Amino acid sequence: MTTKPIIEIDPYEKTWMRISLGLLVVFIIMVGVAGYALGFQLPASETRVNPQTVATDPNSPWSNPGLRELAPGKYEVYILAQIWLFNPREITVPVGSTVTFYVTSKDVQHGFKIQDTNINMQIIPGYVSTLTHVFDKPGEYPYICTEYCGSGHAAMFGKIIVEP
Amino acid sequence: MTIATANYDLTPQEKKFVGWHLILAISALSVGSLFGPLQAFEHAGWDLYPYLQPVFKSYYQGLTIHGVLNALVWTTAFITGFLTLTTIRGLQRSLRYPKLNYTGFWVMVVGVLVTAVPLLANNASVLYTFYPPMKADWLFYVGLTLVVIGSWIEGYGFYFTMAAWRKEHPGETYPFIALASSVTMAMWQIATLGVAIEILTLLLPWAWGMVGGIDIQLARTYFWFTGHPLVYFWLLPAYLSWYAMLPKQAGGKLFSDSMARLVFWLFLLTSVPVGFHHQYVDPGVPDSWKFIHSILTYSVAFPSMLTAFTVIAGLEYAGRKRGGKGLFGWIKALPWDDPSVVSQLLAGILFFFGGIGGITNASYNVNLVIHNTAWVPGHFHLTVSSAATLSFMGITYWLVPYLTGRKLWKPKWALIQAWMWFIGMLIFSNAMHVLGLLGAPRRTPLGEAPYVPAEWNGHLLRVGIGGAILFVAVYLYIFIIAKTAFGGEKASESEQVTIPVAEPLHASPIPAWMDTFKPWLIGAVLLVVIAYAPVLIDLITHAVGSPGFRVW
Amino acid sequence: MPKKQPEEPFEPKGTIVVMAIFVVTLIVLWGSVYYILISRGVTL
Ligand code: HEM
Ligand SMILES: [Cu+2]
Repeated sequence: MTTKPIIEIDPYEKTWMRISLGLLVVFIIMVGVAGYALGFQLPASETRVNPQTVATDPNSPWSNPGLRELAPGKYEVYILAQIWLFNPREITVPVGSTVTFYVTSKDVQHGFKIQDTNINMQIIPGYVSTLTHVFDKPGEYPYICTEYCGSGHAAMFGKIIVEP
Repeated sequence: MTIATANYDLTPQEKKFVGWHLILAISALSVGSLFGPLQAFEHAGWDLYPYLQPVFKSYYQGLTIHGVLNALVWTTAFITGFLTLTTIRGLQRSLRYPKLNYTGFWVMVVGVLVTAVPLLANNASVLYTFYPPMKADWLFYVGLTLVVIGSWIEGYGFYFTMAAWRKEHPGETYPFIALASSVTMAMWQIATLGVAIEILTLLLPWAWGMVGGIDIQLARTYFWFTGHPLVYFWLLPAYLSWYAMLPKQAGGKLFSDSMARLVFWLFLLTSVPVGFHHQYVDPGVPDSWKFIHSILTYSVAFPSMLTAFTVIAGLEYAGRKRGGKGLFGWIKALPWDDPSVVSQLLAGILFFFGGIGGITNASYNVNLVIHNTAWVPGHFHLTVSSAATLSFMGITYWLVPYLTGRKLWKPKWALIQAWMWFIGMLIFSNAMHVLGLLGAPRRTPLGEAPYVPAEWNGHLLRVGIGGAILFVAVYLYIFIIAKTAFGGEKASESEQVTIPVAEPLHASPIPAWMDTFKPWLIGAVLLVVIAYAPVLIDLITHAVGSPGFRVW
Repeated sequence: MPKKQPEEPFEPKGTIVVMAIFVVTLIVLWGSVYYILISRGVTL
């Protein structure tokens, strides 16, 4: 049977193909611009740590988790996720602070999501998840565990207090 | 072209074989679905878990059973059975090696039983994604592997049958429903390599104590290699029915045969290399690869958008033939009194929103808003639990009468069942989406979480109300099917159901490249290698060992 | 059995309207989540 190498497509369907392709292209451009030009980045650090010693090795920042001031208004915070709490449980920074979070786990996987911000990371033993947020508004920002991590998972949370 | 008989019938033995799949599928659904509503009730503050003690130990054990039995067993068992039927009916020939397919099915059954043991004993409460370093009883991993291997074997049975048909029918084009069945299986076979490698090279040696630690991100990457195409494995059989069966049931035709084929080939090509869109917020995967996978994920959204057009056009054609006038009259003219049609139409409408949610999830950094929030189960209850599940329910409303020769028990009740699923799911999933946007986590008994603000309560209540309606809907379904299969009235000769297969409206000839697996398989494998090899090599060469934990 | 019947003229007008509704809904819903992302601040 000889057939044409090209399939026949209904003209209406062809139009629909163009529209849907166009729409997807617009979307990908919008997220690409937000990501690469405007700073809406995903956590993608490739740093690795040993989950079995990360909490005890004196050279590991997670042996002494918590807030470090780098410069006025600029902070980094090392958070250790473990069953079933975050260490530290509470962090206080002044309004307007830029805070970079470095989170890892010493046991199973956890999640780390700060409410009302774009900080939302998978926490994986052996890896370090990192993102930054600028706290422009005073108030309390709970951070909660968003990945099932065992029987105490539902109670695993902490909070950031942003002082005026 | 051969014109085969429109009413080709399966042999009694074949019918029985398909029927066994349905028994396995619906048994899984009947246990798995108990927990869905319980989870929804827990969210609303009606915690019934204390009453399940000591049989079921926790919310999480229930959630694992819910995910495994509903999303893995109900779907896989239904799909392999349904595709057996569409392969035989499409080719109008028996399976080439029926014993091979029987073997596949029984391997699957053994797999389910083996999985059930640790699940029920609370020794594998690791959820259906079984993320390490939570370590389940090794039987759990072995059982799941057997389920997958069983489905592979059934797939091999389809390929042999396709090859035999090709030999017997030189120069002819594969019938669409048979082709779509084998394409679905081929896609599944490439896709499940990920989880097979995860279990065989990481989890089992680790569960048996042969290695002390495994790399968790490597395991996640293998898992999501399978995890996303898994959703196309759920959807494609529903698409098959929407394209090629639903129009016939509604009195119409398949709008575009060539487009339907192209769509299935595109799914084979692009379903797999997209897994990183489940790992957007993971450390250890370079950002550029995440962006590449988001573009690839958009490419696999494209054939779904084509499906929407073709399927709806097929329905419009049917509605107009039934006398529907004007821009919307055809919708009203569709057979809204046929529960099989109505289930599938309503499934399609829910998928309208499921598809939009899916494109949102796939949108790179937009994922930061919804990752691991209640939005996600809100989303996939519109896809796997509606587009697929409600369509499968609709299919069984003709399939069970077909297999058993009995009349559907009280079609009115079946209609009510479909509408209840639709309404319950609208309420449930809308509430879950909103909760997710507000920041509520998934996989969490929110009824007991200490951080839940009062603002969420109204939505949590709606989760419970939707869940209650769904509870009635799912058990009404099982009741109707059981009544039909085991106590239904025998249909007379003239009332016998036939397998609905729509003819194409545009029967344009199919070029050779659209009727051969080779180029598509090569393309699919190449794309997978390009999209995964660099990251996998990096993860393997920089592996960090994690020991296992039992934390439930 | 003859297969080649004359093709029936059929224009899927209703389908086009349904797809238009889909596109508008998609843009609105997708756009609203994108807006939430933008309003919650950069992560850099
Ligand atoms: C009977 C109606 C159903 C109700 C009320 C229901 C309810 C729920 C709820 C509330 C959750 C979220 C639990 C959480 O995140 O803590 C959930 C999760 C889930 N449901 Fe359903 N569901 C139903 C049917 C189904 C069906 C038919 C399927 C699949 C075919 C399904 C598949 C899943 C999966 C895969 C999860 C995720 C499990 C996990 O996160 O590990 N559900 N369901
Ligand atoms: Cu946790």
